[in-house]
Amino acid sequence: MTDISLEKEQKIADELERTFPNLTARVRRARRVMASLEKELIPSVLVHAKDNLGFHHLSHMSVVDWIEDEHFEMVYTLWNHEKRVQLTIKTMISRDNATMANIDTIWRQANTYQREMREMFGIEFPGFVGEKDFLLEDWDEMPPMRRDFDTMEYANKTYFSRPGREDAQDVRDTISKRNGEEVPDFAKKYSREK
Amino acid sequence: MPNDKNSQKIVDMITGFARSNSLFMLAYGTGCGDIEIPPAMTSRYDWERFGYRKMATPRQADVLLISGYLATKTLKRVIRSYEQMQEPKYVIGFGSCTINGGMYWDSYNTINMLDHYIPVDVYINGCMPRPEAVMSGLFELQEMIKRGDANGAQKYRENLEWYRANQKKIIKNWKMPDYNW
Amino acid sequence: MREKATTLYLGPQHPGITGNMMVKLKVEGDTIQSASTHVGYLHRGFEKLMERRNWLQSFTILCRICVPEPDPNEENFARAVESIEGREVPERAKWIRAMVLELARIGTYLLWFAGQSGSAGLYTMGQWSIGDRDYILDLFEELTGGRIYHMYIWPGGVRRDLPKGFKDKVLQTMDYLEKRLVQYDKLMFDNTIFQKRAKGIGWIDPAKAIEWGVVGAPLRAAGIASDVRKDDPYEIYDKLDFELGHATTSDVWGRSQVRRFEIEQSINMVRQIMDKMPEGEYYNRIPNPMKWEVPPGEAYVKTESARGEFGFYVVSDGSNKPRRVHVKGPAYVHAVTLLEDLLKGANISDVSFIMNSLGTCPPEIER
Repeated sequence: MTDISLEKEQKIADELERTFPNLTARVRRARRVMASLEKELIPSVLVHAKDNLGFHHLSHMSVVDWIEDEHFEMVYTLWNHEKRVQLTIKTMISRDNATMANIDTIWRQANTYQREMREMFGIEFPGFVGEKDFLLEDWDEMPPMRRDFDTMEYANKTYFSRPGREDAQDVRDTISKRNGEEVPDFAKKYSREK
Repeated sequence: MPNDKNSQKIVDMITGFARSNSLFMLAYGTGCGDIEIPPAMTSRYDWERFGYRKMATPRQADVLLISGYLATKTLKRVIRSYEQMQEPKYVIGFGSCTINGGMYWDSYNTINMLDHYIPVDVYINGCMPRPEAVMSGLFELQEMIKRGDANGAQKYRENLEWYRANQKKIIKNWKMPDYNW
Repeated sequence: MREKATTLYLGPQHPGITGNMMVKLKVEGDTIQSASTHVGYLHRGFEKLMERRNWLQSFTILCRICVPEPDPNEENFARAVESIEGREVPERAKWIRAMVLELARIGTYLLWFAGQSGSAGLYTMGQWSIGDRDYILDLFEELTGGRIYHMYIWPGGVRRDLPKGFKDKVLQTMDYLEKRLVQYDKLMFDNTIFQKRAKGIGWIDPAKAIEWGVVGAPLRAAGIASDVRKDDPYEIYDKLDFELGHATTSDVWGRSQVRRFEIEQSINMVRQIMDKMPEGEYYNRIPNPMKWEVPPGEAYVKTESARGEFGFYVVSDGSNKPRRVHVKGPAYVHAVTLLEDLLKGANISDVSFIMNSLGTCPPEIER
């Protein structure tokens, strides 16, 4: 639909670019604005968006591991209840010794997200006090959500596995072969072994 | 007379009958299988007809229903709850994930085979098993108790070292009291 | 007289807790001084598992993220993939999706009735409403083949068309549920015990609610009309006529009023959908799932689930597997920072009462 005007979205993008010269903002579609900038500016942009632009609600906060380029991508998603616009703010941080500014003084629910990121990705937030354990207990391996952590290898090493369940493939053939069962006719057409 | 084989058999039969018809089940929703328990216990399926009731405390319960996958953190609590239960006690493994890991077979945080950590008397497969399947598992358990086959607790006592070794393999920080009923 | 403070561990094995989680309380007498939520008992690592599975295999596991209401997960994932890929969805599929989501909302609210009244000691309500929820599960079973996990809404449309005679069954069930609502009112909402327990308990400051990340029924009960279906309409919600629940008391009573009203609205919406649903295709076929590659891109999509805004952040790097799927359930905020705050100064017996009113669902916190 092209007849929807993107006026309010464009205004927000312009306003952001005017205030922060290093920031690039663009309108993706109706009700979606995206901005990317350097890591150092993140807290001030978030405070500006919250206090002056009306983005009071932190919808979501996430991190993506781009292991090939050796960085993490931090993503903050804000929502403006009056104008009904979603603002996505992105930044890159280095993958080794990953640190990021603590924002739980701006939104206190960021506390939970940051606890999870610290545990799952090993990102440190200087000045952040939150309880250490969140989802895992007595974990002494690499943070599990990093791309180089192999969950299957860990599971094979740690847990017992029932024979016949070696891979992610269809197990019906394996089970029937092991038990010497006859595969019924209706099931044969789904069988992988022709 | 008290040591007579036949009279012992009769006593066993009567205790089996009595036990199988008043089973108190520990209300510990350990996994997503817990969502099919409310339908099974309320008006439509109503398992109370068959002598099952939910019990809030492990020390007063007879049956431990493991409803679905177990994260390692939960496994520790399950073992502790199981060891607090007094004999006779029975375990039902509910859902595919207790049998072979089900959907989460390659996950870093869920165990795959429940019977390597605590003894399981009856398995109910499916993801998610229907309330009818739950009930049929419960009937199976009742039949086993009547026959005297549901002796998981005895197995646990006799092979405690093996179970403990398996448990300690994944629970790194083992700070639990020893229960010796 | 000074009372000594003690630590009380509520859960994970506790019948008053919604699901498998633990609240650690510091209490003096039976007044709570401070609370902290401990989760992780249900952590399965879905986000990691999806990195190992291709797009269609991811679709089959992610409905298991939230057990009481799995459909918003499927809807979110389907919509995220469609928006990255630019795949068209047939008109009829959109209507069917909205119908499934509304039926799921009614079912979840009925389950919530049982929890909310059970934590106040009204056990009859649970016997009734869970029994009635089964009629909705029967509809789902006929439509999708599964009672709890449907795996029905997938990228490109829905998996099956409506079976023959399904429309009449849905309308019959809606008529029945509408009649039952009157009896629920008598049993729960007109009950003095429930009213006395619910009024003034678990108060959220309306001025702070948005900033604290409150969503869904608790936010609407604070007098702020906010709903993803209205604010950021998806599927065909802009073509439906419905109102949002509204209350200003911002306590447990207000939240239960909002939910009670929204069941009525959902019943009406299902009727409208059945009336207006167009004929035609229900599925825009995806390529061979084993070779299906989604172009690089990302999307944050959200759906109004029964507990509030349910968000998915999906990133694709152009391969046949998702790069990252981040799930944000409403309970992620409600049950941790918000619950810890609301429990300060509350009575021990109100813990599960407040927890239920926020729609706490542990599996979506830890995934």
